[in-house]
Amino acid sequence: MIFHTFIFAGLLLTTQASISDYISKSDIQKFVPSLESALESLNAEDLPNVYYAAKGFTLINEPLPKSTTDACKHLEKHFNNDLASEVLYQVLSAWSLMNCAKTLNKPLHTESTVKMLKAVLENLESNSADIRYAVHAMNVISQPLPNPAKIGQQLQTKLKEDDSLPSVGQALHAASLLGNAGTFAIQYVEDVVVQADEVDGRMLQWEGGLTVTSLLLTGLLTLPNSKPFTQVQADKFATYLLTRKTVQNAKGIVSLIEAAHALSASDVSPVSITFVESAQVTNLKPDLKIRISNMFGEPLKPAPAPVIAQSATRTTDDVVVLSKQPLNVGSTPTEFVLPLRLDPGQYRVGITAGAHSAALMVRVLGPVNIQWLEVGLGDTDGTSAPRLTKLQHPSTLTSPLQADSSHHLILRFSLSRPVQQPFLRLSSGKREIVFVAELDSSKAYKIDVNLATELSHSAHFEMELILGDSIMSNPLRWAFGNIEVLLSTAEQEQQPGHGPRPEIKHMFRPAEKRPPQVVSMLFTALAAMPLLLLLILWLQLGINFKNFSFAALPFHVGLGGIFALFTCFWLRLDMFATCAWLIPIGGFTFLAGHHILSKLAKQKK
Amino acid sequence: MIPLIFLISFIFSSAYALGNTLVLLDNQVIKETHSIFFKSLQDRGYQLTYKIADDSSLHLSKYGEYLYDNLIIFAPSVEEFGGSLNVDSITQFIDEGGNVLVAGSSVTGDVLRELASECGFEVDEEGAYVIDHLNYDISDNGQHTKIVVPSDNLIEAPIIVGEKNEIASLLYHGTGILADPENPLVLPLLTADSTAYSYIPEQPIKEYPHAVGKNTVLIAGLQARNNARVVFSGSLDFFSDDYFTSAVQKGENGVKVPLSGNKKVSLSIADWVFKQQGQLRVRSVKHHKEGEKVPPQAYTIMEQIVYTIEVDIWESREWKPFNTDDIQLEFVRIDPFVRTTLTRKFLANTKLDLKSQTFMVFINLMLIMTGWATHIYTVARKCL
Repeated sequence: MIFHTFIFAGLLLTTQASISDYISKSDIQKFVPSLESALESLNAEDLPNVYYAAKGFTLINEPLPKSTTDACKHLEKHFNNDLASEVLYQVLSAWSLMNCAKTLNKPLHTESTVKMLKAVLENLESNSADIRYAVHAMNVISQPLPNPAKIGQQLQTKLKEDDSLPSVGQALHAASLLGNAGTFAIQYVEDVVVQADEVDGRMLQWEGGLTVTSLLLTGLLTLPNSKPFTQVQADKFATYLLTRKTVQNAKGIVSLIEAAHALSASDVSPVSITFVESAQVTNLKPDLKIRISNMFGEPLKPAPAPVIAQSATRTTDDVVVLSKQPLNVGSTPTEFVLPLRLDPGQYRVGITAGAHSAALMVRVLGPVNIQWLEVGLGDTDGTSAPRLTKLQHPSTLTSPLQADSSHHLILRFSLSRPVQQPFLRLSSGKREIVFVAELDSSKAYKIDVNLATELSHSAHFEMELILGDSIMSNPLRWAFGNIEVLLSTAEQEQQPGHGPRPEIKHMFRPAEKRPPQVVSMLFTALAAMPLLLLLILWLQLGINFKNFSFAALPFHVGLGGIFALFTCFWLRLDMFATCAWLIPIGGFTFLAGHHILSKLAKQKK
Repeated sequence: MIPLIFLISFIFSSAYALGNTLVLLDNQVIKETHSIFFKSLQDRGYQLTYKIADDSSLHLSKYGEYLYDNLIIFAPSVEEFGGSLNVDSITQFIDEGGNVLVAGSSVTGDVLRELASECGFEVDEEGAYVIDHLNYDISDNGQHTKIVVPSDNLIEAPIIVGEKNEIASLLYHGTGILADPENPLVLPLLTADSTAYSYIPEQPIKEYPHAVGKNTVLIAGLQARNNARVVFSGSLDFFSDDYFTSAVQKGENGVKVPLSGNKKVSLSIADWVFKQQGQLRVRSVKHHKEGEKVPPQAYTIMEQIVYTIEVDIWESREWKPFNTDDIQLEFVRIDPFVRTTLTRKFLANTKLDLKSQTFMVFINLMLIMTGWATHIYTVARKCL
C-alpha cells in the first residue's frame, strides 16, 4: 500500500500537473450580452468600448450582431487625428474588425493619420504605451514602420524612466512587432515573471488585476523566442484566469480571452482534467466521465496518450483499490470513461494523460437501507422494559404515542452502513427539536430522549427520521409517527420577538358594589325623618312675627352670615379660612344673641 | 391638578449622503470575483475604497471624525487587522452609528469571530460548513456544502430582503451562525432548512452540532438601539459573481432555475444595512383633546385624546410617507400598561383616540415599528 502511494507520488513529480476547470461554451455565451450592450450604447467618450466589443466577438468566434453600420458611422463621426494613440489604435482596429471599409466603402485613415502616428513614434516625450499603440496602429493600417531600431532605443530609454508593470507590458507588445530591434525586451522577461504574486498557493497574477495580468501574459507570450513560464506557472496563471470567468465588462472579457488564447497557444498550454458532469458515481451509473481538454474545453492536439488511472485510493483507510487501469474513450474526443465498481466511499483517483496528471476526489454513492427500526416509550426509573413497536420503512405508527413526564422516548434503528447525519426531528408547528443518534456497541443507532428534561411544555410532536451522508445515494426523511407529550406546564404563548405585539387595554378600577335602590331610599327617608318631624312641629307651633322687633335684626343677620359661611365652606373654602371668618361672625352673633335675650328677659319682668 | 409637560425627542440619523464605504479584502482577487456586487453598489452611488485587511495604513477615523459611513469586511481569513483597526475600534464605530457588512467562511478568523460575538452572533468553529444532504446544488463538489436555500427561508421583512415570492432559490456555501432567538435586536435574515446542520464535512458526528435545522442562521442582521446596522453572512461566496450568475438545481432530479436569487437579496440586504432602505423619521407629532385644536395644559381622567403622528420612510433616495398598519403606541409605567395599534388616517398620518390616565409619573410613548425599520422612540415625560 505504501509502495503504491510512493509510485503515485513519484508520478505526480515526474509529470506536469493540470488545471481543474475550463472556459466552456456556456461561459462564452454569457459574454455575448455584455459585448452586445457595449456595441449598442454608443457615446462619444466611449470609443474604446466599440473596439472591445468588436474584438470580443472576434475572439469568441461569434458573428457580429446584424448591423454594424451604426457603429461604423459612430467611429467615423468621432474619428480625428488628434485622438490619443491608444484610442486611435482602437478605432482603427475596430474599423478593420467590423469591416467598416467595406460597409461604408472608404478607409478611415488619411495621410495625416500616418503622419500623426509617425510623429508619436519620433516624439521623445512619448511613453511606452503611446509607442506601443502607435506601432500597433501602423500595423493595423499596413504601414511599414519607420526605423524600428530607433523605436527600440526610444522604448529602452522610456523603460529606464518607468519600469512599472503596465509600462513594461506595453513595451513587450511593441517589441514583438519590431523584429530584430525588439530583442532587447528578452532581458525584462525574467524580472516581470518574478514580480507575479501568488494567491493561496494555487494562483499567480500581477498586481493590478485582470487587465495588467492579461497585458503582461500576452506581451510575454507574443515575444518571439521566449519561454517565459514553466508549466507550473502557466497552470497557476490559468487558474487565476479561470476564477475571472464571470467578468462582466467588454474590456475585461477581451483581456480574459486574449490571455487565455495566448496561454493555450503557447508550448506550456495548460491541460484541464475535470469531471464531465459530477464527481460522483452510483451503483447504477458506475462510469466516471473525465474531460481532458485545453483551457477552452477543446480536444488536445496531439491527443493525450496514454490516459491511465494510475491508482484509486480510499481516503478513509488509504487502501488502494485499483491501479494502472487505462481509460476508455468516451462519446466525444475530450471525454474519457473509467468504470468504478467500488464500495461506497470517497476515493482519490490519480489520472495521467500523456505528460499531465491530476489527482481527483471521486465519490462512489450507494444506497443505505434501514434494516430495522423500533420506537416506543420507556420509564424514567427503568423499572419496566420499554414497550417498542417495530416499523418498516415507509409505514407509520397507527396511533400517536401517549407520553408524560415519567417517560423516555426511545428510538433504535440499524442501517446497512453508518451515516454522518442520523437525526431524529420532533416538530410542532414552527418549533423543532433535533436529536442525534449514537452508535451503540451492537452497531445499532439509539436515541433516548428524557421528555421531562428536554421539553419545556406539553405539545403534540411529529417524529421524523432524517438520514443523510455525502456518499448516500438515497438521503431520506421519514415521518414515522406522532407523539403526544403531557407535561405539568402547558404550552406558553410564544411572544413574537418582532412584529406587532398584542394590544393591552387599560381597565379603570370598577366601582364598588352598592345596595339596591329600595334599601338606600329607605335609609334616606329614615335619615330625613327628624327634619320632617321638626318641620311638622314648627307648623303646629306657628311662627310668632308679632313679637319681632328691629333689635333682633343683628342676631338674625349674624346667624344668616354663619349659614352663608358654611355654604361657602361647602363649595370652595377650606377649614382654616372658614374658621378665620367664623370667629368675627360668631362673636358678633353671640353678642347680638345675648343682647336680644337679655332684652326679652327684661320685658317679661 | 397636575401640570403636564411633554418633552418629545426623535432620533434622526443622516440618510441624505450615500455613504463612504471602506471595503476590506483578504486579497485583490476578491475584488474581481465579487465585481458585480461592488459595481452594483457603485452604481447606486456608494463610494468604495478598497484596502487589504492587514494593510498597515488602515484608519476608520481621523482627528475624531469618521472617514467612512459604512464598512464591508470581505476578508474571512484575516487574523488581525492592520493599522489602527481592531475589534474595539469597529465596535466603537458601530456604537457611534456606523454600518458594517461582514462575510465569513468556514475559515473565519478569530478577529471576525470576536466581532460577531460583540454583535450577538456566534460563528461555528473552524472547518465547519452548513451541510444539507437533501438540498444541495448540482454543482456541489460532493460534500453537500453548496446548498440550495428556498427564498421562503428569508425573514418576513420585504424592507430588508425584498419580496420573497419574486426571489428565486439562493445558493450558499459557508459556515453556520448561531443567533439568540430571544434577542429582539438580532434578526435571522436567512435560515437553513430542517435537514441542514453545521459540522465539519466527512467527520462522524461525535458532538451535538452547534447549529441544527432551522436554528442554523446563514445570514444574521443586527439593528442596534442607536440604529447602527450590522449584517454577518457565513458565506463570502453568497456575494460572488459566480453565485450571482449561476443557475440553481437541487440535486440530480431537481428543477433548474436559470438564475439564482443571490444578487437580488444581496443588494437588498446591502441597501438595508447601509440605511438606504427602511429608515424612518417622525415628521410631526400632535395631540389634543377631541374636538379641540391645541393641546391643553393637562389632561384629566376620562378625557378623549387625539394623538397624531406622521412617519416618513427613506425610499429611493427620498422621504416618502410610510404606509403601514402596524404602528403601535405604548404607555409605559415601569411596564407597558396601554399598547394600541394606531389607525391610518390618510397616507402617513396615524391617529388614535385614547382616554388619558391620571397619576402617571413618567410616560414613555414608544412606537414599535414592525418590518424591521428604524425604531422610533418618542419619549414624553410628565412632571408633577
